[in-house]
Amino acid sequence: MTTETAPPTEKSMPIKDLLATNDELFAKTGYLFGLKDLKHKQEDPGGYEAVWQILLNICNTGWDVGCRVSSSAIAVEGGDALWALHLPTGEAVAVSRGITAHPGLLSHFVRQLIEEGYEDNPGINPGDIFENNDPHYGGIHPVDFDTAVPIIYEGELVAWASGVTHVMDSGYILPGSIGFMNPDSFADGMPVTMEKIGENDQLHPWYAMRVKSRTRVPDSVMGDARGRLAGCLTIRNKVIEAIDKYGLEYFKDVMKEYVEDGRRYAVTRVKNQAIPGRLRKSNFKDLAMKGKRVIMPNQDVDILFNLPLEMNIDKDAHVDFSLSGASGWVPFGQNITPPAVKSALLNAYSHMVGFDMTNWGPAAAWTLEDPPEGSWANPYPVNYYASAGVAWAPAVMWMSSLYEAFGRAYFMRGYIEEVAAGAATTLTAEFSGIGQYGTYVAGLSLEQASNGAPARGMADGENSAWCIYTPNADFGNAEVTELWYPIVYLGRNVQPDSGGYGTFRGGLGHTAVWMVKNTPGIEYQCGCAGMRSKVLANHGMYGAYPGWPDRGSYAHDTNLKELIEKQQPLVHERGDPEDPIMANILTAKVLETNIITPFITPELLQEYDVIMHPISGAQALGDPLERDPAEVALDLTKGWTRERIASDVHGVVASYDEAAKEYKADEAATEKKRDDMRQARKDRSVPFKEWWAQEREKVQAKENMDPAVLDMWRSSMELSPGYGAELRAFWKLPEDFTF
Amino acid sequence: MPEYDIGEIEKLIDGELAWPRVQEIMKGAKDVDRFEKWVKILQGRVSWPEPILLPLTPSLFIVQKENNERVVKCKCGQEFGDYRVNWKLSASIYVRESEEDFKEIYRGSEQPDPAWTQLREYSCPGCGTQLEVEAVPRGTPPDFDFLPDLDTFYKEWLGRPLPDEQEFTDKTLETVGKWS
Repeated sequence: MTTETAPPTEKSMPIKDLLATNDELFAKTGYLFGLKDLKHKQEDPGGYEAVWQILLNICNTGWDVGCRVSSSAIAVEGGDALWALHLPTGEAVAVSRGITAHPGLLSHFVRQLIEEGYEDNPGINPGDIFENNDPHYGGIHPVDFDTAVPIIYEGELVAWASGVTHVMDSGYILPGSIGFMNPDSFADGMPVTMEKIGENDQLHPWYAMRVKSRTRVPDSVMGDARGRLAGCLTIRNKVIEAIDKYGLEYFKDVMKEYVEDGRRYAVTRVKNQAIPGRLRKSNFKDLAMKGKRVIMPNQDVDILFNLPLEMNIDKDAHVDFSLSGASGWVPFGQNITPPAVKSALLNAYSHMVGFDMTNWGPAAAWTLEDPPEGSWANPYPVNYYASAGVAWAPAVMWMSSLYEAFGRAYFMRGYIEEVAAGAATTLTAEFSGIGQYGTYVAGLSLEQASNGAPARGMADGENSAWCIYTPNADFGNAEVTELWYPIVYLGRNVQPDSGGYGTFRGGLGHTAVWMVKNTPGIEYQCGCAGMRSKVLANHGMYGAYPGWPDRGSYAHDTNLKELIEKQQPLVHERGDPEDPIMANILTAKVLETNIITPFITPELLQEYDVIMHPISGAQALGDPLERDPAEVALDLTKGWTRERIASDVHGVVASYDEAAKEYKADEAATEKKRDDMRQARKDRSVPFKEWWAQEREKVQAKENMDPAVLDMWRSSMELSPGYGAELRAFWKLPEDFTF
Repeated sequence: MPEYDIGEIEKLIDGELAWPRVQEIMKGAKDVDRFEKWVKILQGRVSWPEPILLPLTPSLFIVQKENNERVVKCKCGQEFGDYRVNWKLSASIYVRESEEDFKEIYRGSEQPDPAWTQLREYSCPGCGTQLEVEAVPRGTPPDFDFLPDLDTFYKEWLGRPLPDEQEFTDKTLETVGKWS
């Protein structure tokens, strides 16, 4: 008698083995899970679509419940969070609204649980709650807490529900959640490293104890933890209802189809809308901290990041991304890990490639070449303790190039309505100190979550309606923000000319003007979650000028109270860049109107101090001399551009019609002026080769190059020898040349 | 798959289509014959006879010459040479790199630091159109924004191969190598 062993089924196979099988199937067939055919989609497209919508609704219900239970302004007022449903092996199947970078991170988190053998130890059981915020294990930055609960049906792990929120404080070395100042990972606050933080749907008591002793606003942090859990449990319970209704086998099969469908969707969008070939985009961001308030001696330094993008689209519409040339890790909280970069790419894909099927699938439609070891995008091989306090900062600015790169590809194919010229920046405002209720407060305003939108191929971008890190741009209500922090809005105005100068301008940003009120003292962090202050964005798409750098302003120990009592004019907007309104209206002990950002106020701000916080617009497209003169006149009438820019940059001759209360462009005079300006361009420019011959001498002599620029080139060329060789070859520099 | 009248595509390109209709087009599946209509519209707007193979930017096009060479050409007729060499090498350039230079565009708190960045304005030697602007630190080679794999595009994606297949390779450094 022989005993036959049944072949392992998906149910009997350990999830870890299933993971390996899935990877093999994809490598072998090119289809996720080896799914050459989408059986359920083909046989019953209506049912397939209906269940997809049900799963989306379940995730959005999770988001709704989760945000309402949460405590932070970011989740409650901004909805800046996300919940998702995953396969047992981690791939996100359906996701809620919110921050679309996170499905990748959450997928990676669940996969890590499996890869690390959690099925055996500590076990994955009904009611378990797992969490991670540690960048060393796939988190992006430690204030983003990733939570996951298993969905177990009839004893089988069939799915996961997950959620993420950005808490207001996770115990970074300085108060708040942006953490650009964190010198190393030891400053990155309270770690939750791939932990089982609860069982039987309840958080362990020691989790709350740790939050209480290691974060500055524990009630808020615990509120968010309960919010994440509530969203996950909502999803879990509703998914179980859906399985009851549709059957387990159908559910398991169709979940995998949705992920593979997501991959196909992304591939198809690229193949239908783009062009095969190689796109390259340089970009740079500064972090100028020399002479400012810092924590460690090695932070008294000015830094320029190199954020190069190369994107290759092959014949199968597979996209390869490279960061070759990325500069070195930094002693600030602005390093990111390769898994987080890959996950963050989902964010850019959700904006620029796929809008309908946002799940893990698109991540299988591209490859990210390993970023240079020791760079800001892959620091651990060289510095295992590099901080990721605000890892988003360089990542979102790198992704801004991806917007433009895809925009260029779509333009060439004729899909002009899908072009996006390049992103705005993310300059954050955080407050910490005793608030209006006499309790300690630390947290982020939501201003930066509503930038201008990038210019399109045939239209201006929208004002204050877009954000690179979330498709759900929402800067919250001013009145509600005043309830969170001890501030009063003096202004929240569209900022003229903040969207670059082009045929089509980027959507404009805005300026928030706050008066400090009802506090014995509060600190203001003008933080970097992806900003430039020394340099411009390299986004002069098709001849446009990029938007200007981010600069901060504040006044301390002011006469504002007196002005209010005398009912005299107050400060509501920025005004002229050479003659700011604040300096004309206020007298103050400290009055700064042009601070290189980021910075933290060296003194505690007090009653009637004023903060002017700029939120940038996005990037423009096309020669500014080709902008419709009527549009320039309309912008003048609305106060969205200034007379000098209309005349000197756009070449528009316009005058104000007192009777009609509007500006009108003189078309004939404009045409003449523009002809003269084009001729002036021709007169002052030189053939490229002539400039190159002179410039290479200056490059070799390192003429007028700030030490930060030289440091950047040194690290970029050392970490990416091929990139360095190409740079030397272009300028015909000696083979051993270094900056 | 939707199909749009070429007149409607032309209005879309010129920004004359009502926004609700633009949104419909954005939200819907893409029209697969857009490229053909796009090129036809643009071809009708230039005065020169060479067929457009690929519109690179609003002003620059890769065209096919009579001898099947593929070159970059401006809407005004100015030519920039082999499409596999970064066309910026054949452009005119003006560079702003001092406070005074920047002042025409950026003033006061809006001005970048000239020791950290230079503003390179590439224009057409023929018509003076500003083609691209780069804001980069000294030392950055000009971005070769896009090197298309034209033969793969026409042969594999559009199903109509171009005559005289050409190697998909970047020839920029080869060109610079000949400079002194």
